[in-house]
Amino acid sequence: MTSRRDFLKVTGAAGAGLVLGLRLEAKPRLGETVKAAFQPNAFLAIRPDGTAQITVPKVEMGQGVRTALPLVVAEELDLDWSKVEVVTAHPGPEFKAMNTGGSTSVSTTWDTLRKAGAAAREMLKAAAAAQWKVPVGQCRTENGFVLGPDRKKLGYGALAEAAARLPVPKDAPLKKAADYRLVGKRTPRIDGPAIVTGKAVFGLDVRRPGQRFAAVLRCPVPGGQPKTWDDAKAKTVRGVTAVVKVPTGLAVAADSTWAAFKGRDALAATATWDEGAAKEFSSAALEAKARAALTGPADDARREGDPAKALAAATKMLEAEYSFPYQAHVTVEPMNATTHVGADTAEMWVGSQSGNRAQERAATAMGLKAEQLKVNVPLIGGGFGRRLGTDFSTEAAQVAKAVGGGPVQVVWDREDDIRHDLHHPATLHHLRAGIDGAGALAAWTHRIAGPAVLRSWLGGQKAPSQATTEANGAYDIPYAIPAIAVDFAEVEAPTPLGWWRGIQIVPNVFARECFLDEVAHALGKDPLTFRLDLLGDRGIVKFGRDAADIRRLKRVLEVAAEKAGWGRKLPVGHGLGLACHAYDGRTYAAEVAEVSVVKGRLKVHKVTCAVDCGLAVNPAGLEAQVEGGIAFGLSALFSQITWEKGRTVQTGYHDFPVLRLGDMPLVETHVIPSAEAPSGMGEPPVPVAIPAVLNAVFAATGKRIRKVPIEDGLI
Amino acid sequence: MPAYQLTVNGRGRTIDADADTPLLWVLRDTLGLTGTKFGCGQGICGACTVHLDGRAVRSCQTSLKEAAEHAVLTVEGLSKDGSHPVQKAWIAEDVAQCGYCQPGMIMSAAALLKRKAHPTDHDIDEAFADHICRCGSYPRIRKAVKRAAGGVK
Repeated sequence: MTSRRDFLKVTGAAGAGLVLGLRLEAKPRLGETVKAAFQPNAFLAIRPDGTAQITVPKVEMGQGVRTALPLVVAEELDLDWSKVEVVTAHPGPEFKAMNTGGSTSVSTTWDTLRKAGAAAREMLKAAAAAQWKVPVGQCRTENGFVLGPDRKKLGYGALAEAAARLPVPKDAPLKKAADYRLVGKRTPRIDGPAIVTGKAVFGLDVRRPGQRFAAVLRCPVPGGQPKTWDDAKAKTVRGVTAVVKVPTGLAVAADSTWAAFKGRDALAATATWDEGAAKEFSSAALEAKARAALTGPADDARREGDPAKALAAATKMLEAEYSFPYQAHVTVEPMNATTHVGADTAEMWVGSQSGNRAQERAATAMGLKAEQLKVNVPLIGGGFGRRLGTDFSTEAAQVAKAVGGGPVQVVWDREDDIRHDLHHPATLHHLRAGIDGAGALAAWTHRIAGPAVLRSWLGGQKAPSQATTEANGAYDIPYAIPAIAVDFAEVEAPTPLGWWRGIQIVPNVFARECFLDEVAHALGKDPLTFRLDLLGDRGIVKFGRDAADIRRLKRVLEVAAEKAGWGRKLPVGHGLGLACHAYDGRTYAAEVAEVSVVKGRLKVHKVTCAVDCGLAVNPAGLEAQVEGGIAFGLSALFSQITWEKGRTVQTGYHDFPVLRLGDMPLVETHVIPSAEAPSGMGEPPVPVAIPAVLNAVFAATGKRIRKVPIEDGLI
Repeated sequence: MPAYQLTVNGRGRTIDADADTPLLWVLRDTLGLTGTKFGCGQGICGACTVHLDGRAVRSCQTSLKEAAEHAVLTVEGLSKDGSHPVQKAWIAEDVAQCGYCQPGMIMSAAALLKRKAHPTDHDIDEAFADHICRCGSYPRIRKAVKRAAGGVK
């Protein structure tokens, strides 16, 4: 009899070695009851040959989970890392929590993976002790072996079968951090060798026997539908095998990707469209509505003290408007999925960050139950939140079903990818700061106006948490200010929206940290000293749903400033700027940027970043996330999606630029040593990069940039 | 319709496809060499970079007709076992994040180092000016190129 409290169980068949099933706790969804029966959703297997297989219940998209999560197991189990084989789980009843986003993969699995490794280690020790007839206390483990008295030594493989017959210990002791030999050390990515030889399989690299390729001709206005078309010419394109109407447009299937694209282009020349509800949508109209909403009604995200009274009593008031545009994800691997529809089953290969939702929705689209659809998640060529969406996987299922006969890979091209992204929406920000007679910051208001990502995500529903979600990064302003009002005024937009690396925290922290810099300068105070004073001598501070440890935030700010040489004499034309944030109250990041501006052209020389994300499981992976997060933030200074007549003006990398190697600054990362549990690192470096750089631009030039992207790319 | 002859990773191939078919799709869909990636199809992102007679070219902008009678080298042909100096340097510097753009980066690095054994920072900037890594692996790419410098024959 197993109870909910059990999280580990021997699940393997005889001869399989030691196979442990473990259950990682997923938050039950609304209305879902947790079954009492044991349902493992991660696996650890030690085979008779001594190799270990670890099933990772999260997807790899460059953030390093296929390395970091197995490292945690291997540490507690004292595995020989060179004998570890990693597989990605398949979404389904055993793996219900494959959703990978929000910088949570390590933090949500850390405890369970450690306990599983420790339990397996104790079972192997017990098996060896029984064989040697010695007390288990005289046995220890090292690099894939159990060592006993009198130089006794047995490999895990030889012990696995016997260990599998032993009871799973309830509370196996966990290692002390001081004894770690893998966790906290720099471990190269486990997929590196496959990637550099071209053998790594991404979604677009899936090749099945008899596979065809399909492109979809979609209305350039999201939500639009084809009205008339003539498929005669498309069907004459060599290799084209089918042209069919699907819910998202017209699918062209062919025996190669190129033929599918050519067929689609031939079809495009003949199509007329019913452009649908979004056909008049424009960025200019949205901005006008957002500006009006800056003074209209709004939903509170945080209200403390009496901001109106404090502003009225202020001897000096500062105010400013900040603006951040629509952004696209532009993962280098465009959206794609491969589906093989059988008689009453189907199989799909899709780089999804939401494997479980993708499975449910694609199965439904094909008239199947989720369990009739096997989903494989290959490596993902960039996620950044785009692949949390299931639009492309559901469409691929619809296309495969409509064209019939064997596996079909639906391939989006770059223009499809930009036009039909789940964009991160534009926001306008109005901020006010009231200074009292003593020269102190007494009031802070931050109004955010724009479309709500959460509403779009929930299919048009307004959630109770909408205001705090859209004001994330603004409502949790960490500074001690007597009166604070942060609110969100929703402006409706007709096209689908989605999450983006750093989510709403990116625009909100940009506005907050730049405006705070303005206040510091207006008061003649040093931006570092001003922040440290405002953070004050406080411990854990609660803001609505989150709480942050202000001491940890101060520490990263101090370390980043010290390592960057804050206050030092700079070359002529250079400036230093800084910003900090406690990400969801979990990960603390501060960055100092050194920039120069020559003939209007911004050069970011160096970014010094200090982070406290609890224990760093793999510092090499963590540093990669800092470097990548900074690149992602800097890229946004020059990119935007704009809308005219319901269409994105941008169609590719030529007009939606991404940071190139020559523009990448030096990045120096300082990890604050910590014994706290790991807290997540994929997103926290992104939001602080933009204000650190723009505050540095002010320091270098005296010009305050309040609008992203930088106009014409020139300051 | 004539068939086209080309050498891919040292092996002669006969391809029966339209003259304007980009080399990228010949490699990926006809020959199953999926190490060469599709990123933009516009010659901007560099994910599809291969060598044509030793020069780095964008396979999405190179037609089958243009590639015919020439020697094509893809990431699969760079070494049998990942032992090319650039591949080794890529592992040593732990460059890849998602890894999707990396075969193109590696092919450009190999071509650069063949052309110039010890490139300057400026040479590296230029060589990768037409490559995109959305994950931001750039600092490590620079380090890996420098690590491999002098080792490419």
